[in-house]
Amino acid sequence: MALDFSIILRFQEALALGLWMTIKLTLICVVLGCSLGFLVGLARTSRRSLLRAISGVYVEFFRGTPVLIQLFWIFFCLPLILGVELSNLASGVIALTLYMGAITSETFRASLKSIGPEQLDACVALGLPRRVQVTNVILPQAVLRAVPTLLSNCVSLFKESALVSAVGMADLMFVGQNISNNTARPVEVLTVVAIIYFVIAFPLTRAVTLVERRVLAKLAI
Amino acid sequence: MMSANAPLVSIKSLRKSYGPYIQVLKGLDIEMKPGERVVVIGPSGGGKSTLLRVMMGLEKIDSGSITFGGEPYISSKGSDKKTVIDTEVRRSIGMVFQHYTLFPHLNVTQNLILAPCKVRGENKVSATKRAHALLDRFGLGAKANAYPAQLSGGQKQRVAIARALMLDPKLMLFDEVTSALDPELVAEVEQVILQLAAQNMPMMIVTHDMWFAKNIASRVIFCAGGVVVEDGPPEQVLGSPKEERTRDFIDRVFHIRH
Ligand SMILES: Nc1ncnc2c1ncn2[C@@H]1O[C@H](COP(=O)(O)OP(=O)(O)OP(=O)(O)O)[C@@H](O)[C@H]1O
Ligand SMILES: [Mg+2]
Repeated sequence: MALDFSIILRFQEALALGLWMTIKLTLICVVLGCSLGFLVGLARTSRRSLLRAISGVYVEFFRGTPVLIQLFWIFFCLPLILGVELSNLASGVIALTLYMGAITSETFRASLKSIGPEQLDACVALGLPRRVQVTNVILPQAVLRAVPTLLSNCVSLFKESALVSAVGMADLMFVGQNISNNTARPVEVLTVVAIIYFVIAFPLTRAVTLVERRVLAKLAI
Repeated sequence: MMSANAPLVSIKSLRKSYGPYIQVLKGLDIEMKPGERVVVIGPSGGGKSTLLRVMMGLEKIDSGSITFGGEPYISSKGSDKKTVIDTEVRRSIGMVFQHYTLFPHLNVTQNLILAPCKVRGENKVSATKRAHALLDRFGLGAKANAYPAQLSGGQKQRVAIARALMLDPKLMLFDEVTSALDPELVAEVEQVILQLAAQNMPMMIVTHDMWFAKNIASRVIFCAGGVVVEDGPPEQVLGSPKEERTRDFIDRVFHIRH
């Protein structure tokens, strides 16, 4: 059986819709997940042991279990616990945000730790109030240092988001599987889907290198 | 108010330890008059950095007190000996460290104006103007928009000095500010400090550089084992010390033979 990629052309629109769902889901979870990750990163470096313990359990749990199981758990168990029906999108957002929060919190924790104590000495010697130390000295350096790893985290999330197809969300992966089932042309369809993922993820991974070379090298941080 | 003869800084029975076992300052008394330039020398681990860090309010103390311009600003109070620091008084003191402490994400001008704008509420335009004037004076006019990573070690330390001066300190603390530098960069930093000395800026300086100590000091303190061992004019302490420990140290470190 010869490969026939022209078949894809008939499903352009469906694939575009699936891609849009994947992108939407990724963007929402990047924003929510990074915010959650920063707060959890702060909690993990906090002086309060209770905060450290709670955030530590959360992070280890979500990093140490398969994302697919987390997804199933949130899709099927969370509605039972909360007693409300969650839309597919809401469940997907919750699951991937919790996953993204856990992995980015590690990124932020490392970047917060890498800010040397001498920076804080300088802050005190200049009489900077605590609020200014955080907003003008610690936060910008923590974020800048985290950017390359955060970009990688985003690429991971973008690819991991394909798992939501397993619980019936109509993302790019889901659409691809549907088409491949209906046309019995899995090789062509899934190859094209993989290429679409790659075309979006690749520039992002290149951006990591670019940021490292241009911005971080200039600042040496 | 400061009177002419009142001490600028008065350190009384200052004790400081790190944890329960490492006692670093063991009852230190130093009185510094206005306009004095005190060079502190002493063996490694003798507590010189600790002294300056305490004066800057960077470390807790066990007991004792420090006044500045007659105002007590560091003391330990209450039954639990909590260190109390008057941050308003502390703002009159500037410090430059051995390690580079410029903010790497801010350019030179931004490094200089951060504190004046955020602490004193100075507007950006006037702070920038003052910053550029100061940079020009230190031969750094061309570096106003450079980032710290683009500067040599000597330039970084000169910027750090300028950054501290932006807050119009009444006392400057220098802790081995040239120790991390390549030898050929030491002079440019020392020149800047000598320039400040020429304007009668009171300062306390920790240094291992004999030439610099001789040229900048109006008084030298030899500090070892957490106490002041010898204290006097530079000719005496560096030239013909009275105490044997001072003599040993100077022979060893500065290779001066009598
Ligand atoms: N944060 C700290 N925690 C524990 N011990 C410390 C700390 N800082 C300094 N010390 C110890 O206190 C002692 C005095 O240190 P300090 O840095 O004040 O000495 P110094 O006179 O500046 O020495 P050097 O000439 O090497 O700079 C040393 O024994 C040092 O190991
Ligand atoms: Mg020292």
